[in-house]
Amino acid sequence: MKCVVCDREAVKNNYCELHSKTYERILKKYEVWKKALEISWKEYLSQIAKNPLTGEWAREVAEHLIKSGEDVNGA
Amino acid sequence: MEKHTFIITEKPDAAQRIALALDAKGKAKKMEEKGVPYYVAEREKPIVVVPAIGHLYTVADEKSGRNYYPVFNFKWVPRYVAERGAKQIRVWLETISKLAKNADTYIDACDYDIEGSIIGYSILKYACGNKENIAKRMKYSTLTKEELEKAYEELLPKLDFALIEAGKTRHEIDWLYGVNLSRALTLAAKDWSGRYATLSTGRVQGPTLRFLVAREKAIRSFVPTPYWEIRAEIEIDGKVFEAEYEKDVIEIKKEAEAVLNKCKDKDGVVENIDVKQFQQMPPTPFDIGTLQSEAYGLFGYTPRRTLDIAQRLYLDALISYPRTSSQKLPPAINYTQILQSLSGVAQYKKLSAELLSKKELKPNEGKKEDPAHPAVYPTGKLPERVLEEPERRIWDLVVRRFMAVFGEPAIRQSMKVAINVNGERFFLRGRQILKEGWLKFYEPYVRSEEVLLPKIEKGQKLKVKKIILEDKFTKPPPRYNPGSLLKKMEEVGIGTKATRADIIQTLYDRKYVRDERMVVTDLGFEVLEVLKKHCPTIVSIEMTRKLEERMDKIQANTEKRENVLLDAVEILKPVVEQLKDKEKIVGEQLSSAIKRARLEERTVGQCPICGTGTLMILYSRKTGKRFIGCTNYFKKQCKASFPLPQRGTVRPLGKNCRGCGWPTVQIRMKGRRPWNLCFNPKCPLKEERKT
Repeated sequence: MKCVVCDREAVKNNYCELHSKTYERILKKYEVWKKALEISWKEYLSQIAKNPLTGEWAREVAEHLIKSGEDVNGA
Repeated sequence: MEKHTFIITEKPDAAQRIALALDAKGKAKKMEEKGVPYYVAEREKPIVVVPAIGHLYTVADEKSGRNYYPVFNFKWVPRYVAERGAKQIRVWLETISKLAKNADTYIDACDYDIEGSIIGYSILKYACGNKENIAKRMKYSTLTKEELEKAYEELLPKLDFALIEAGKTRHEIDWLYGVNLSRALTLAAKDWSGRYATLSTGRVQGPTLRFLVAREKAIRSFVPTPYWEIRAEIEIDGKVFEAEYEKDVIEIKKEAEAVLNKCKDKDGVVENIDVKQFQQMPPTPFDIGTLQSEAYGLFGYTPRRTLDIAQRLYLDALISYPRTSSQKLPPAINYTQILQSLSGVAQYKKLSAELLSKKELKPNEGKKEDPAHPAVYPTGKLPERVLEEPERRIWDLVVRRFMAVFGEPAIRQSMKVAINVNGERFFLRGRQILKEGWLKFYEPYVRSEEVLLPKIEKGQKLKVKKIILEDKFTKPPPRYNPGSLLKKMEEVGIGTKATRADIIQTLYDRKYVRDERMVVTDLGFEVLEVLKKHCPTIVSIEMTRKLEERMDKIQANTEKRENVLLDAVEILKPVVEQLKDKEKIVGEQLSSAIKRARLEERTVGQCPICGTGTLMILYSRKTGKRFIGCTNYFKKQCKASFPLPQRGTVRPLGKNCRGCGWPTVQIRMKGRRPWNLCFNPKCPLKEERKT
């Protein structure tokens, strides 16, 4: 199975190794953003997707999560 | 011809300098044999000084052909045997052999380091008929007449065989690793896709790529974190100064806003004034790595470029031998004489005079040592030709650094004023140089700013003009550039001072990285992934460093060359076998990366005409000419096409034109500065230029 973001082989959570690690990082960072700004998961994703400092893979995963409507628990 | 002394040098410029220095009248004769220059100097007897052009011999496979691996049998051969395009080496070697025939004394005057020692040794052994054991060694660090004459009078009785053994081992191990691993990757990709693309890796190249990939991963997966900073604008004597809030970083927005509201429209009171003085020691003399890093930071020169410029300055006898790890300047180089000579240049006159008036000249030496050469220093000789701008800059940098190391420590003062604004503390900071010391010698290369504060007293009331709350985000780690990557390689101890710059260049040549702030390409990622997955030892920094240490031990006569070579092969063998077993998987993985890389190289950006297609660099089937066309052309939906220059290389820039927003490309032509091209014929910037 291919990664939902790129052409590489999916290894975990439908992501390739690189995007999977990035996804985990996005999840972890949400806790920090929530504490700092009291924002929702959706708001957080849209903020990081448009932030120019966000890395390319992180933006790809954020955009995918926005599109798929997946919540913070992966549902 | 009467019996003569035969001297071999590494480069033609060095041969000329040595011949001129050794000729009794300073007028050596330049001769030529089949296009190979050499020099005849007259002293007690004729001296024939013949240059090499770098390495004339190399390690090669015992069998011919390139399409197989593993390869563990090798021999040293003339370069023209192993390399295409090295035909002139044959004539060069024939000339050297002819000129060496009538000699009764043989001297190796190549650069005194690993590479120079191998160049001299292999020529004396193979081209001069086993003269390596009777040859003497000339050791010098500058090409000035005085030092060359001294080196000739005080010849070392024999070649430095420990250095040669270490060098040979390094070349052989690097060749074994390079040839086997590179062939494994290249052939795997070729067999899978049917298309040839040179892929390479090596003992140092792999771990270096690993640093870059690790950094690239951190950047690409980076998620910024918000934080807030608070500053206060304080007015003192009609001037406005910025004070920072005591917490550099506030992690919660509400907290930051509370501080802002608390301080709004309130004045401040000076709570405390902390003044500190500290000494700043002069810099240490330049070893090649520090020179390369400094030149990158100041002028943006790549390490390779700095090394090339420094080499030219060395061959002009303006600076000492640049490929050195030393940060020491022994008194034997004669500091006073160098400074006296430099005072002949207007801009150094005053500075040299100041140093010469000191009771004692003592350099602030660094820890690093090099048994072969001192740190890089100016010889004191002044340029005999007009230096090109980059050469002038590097020479000036070396001269000023040399002077700065003899300077007194600088004394700086820092001032920290604590200001209480309604219970919240802000700091106002000032910086001042009290005693310039060495800083004046290193101008304009000193990077420091002064912030002078007016007179402030404890308890003084200060007007707070404004409180500023700024939204901030953490930044991803910086990309490596060639300068910082070289520094990293040095820090972890991989590669040598002679090879690091070339390894970085190879990463660019193989298209594993691009741009000055180094971006790893898909291909770079894939090559490293393959290596990490199938042969992790090859990209292990630890393994590479250990091997480096053992090779250094050969040089110090505490390790046997045979043992190191055997162990290196023992590590390599299973790795190559593993790659061979997995050839299909490796080939598939690399081929798709090559395909993506080739496509990426040709993809210019989104088509601004139809908005859905992609602009690509294409070639006309009829004329063979290249142009930019839209992928929707094939669906008969878009006819966008734009002409391109037919000469040079075209590379999509990945940036849009600031005038019209269209994607842009970069054109590179030999002998010309690269330029960025917006191919939109109606770009407003072009219209602007016309009017």
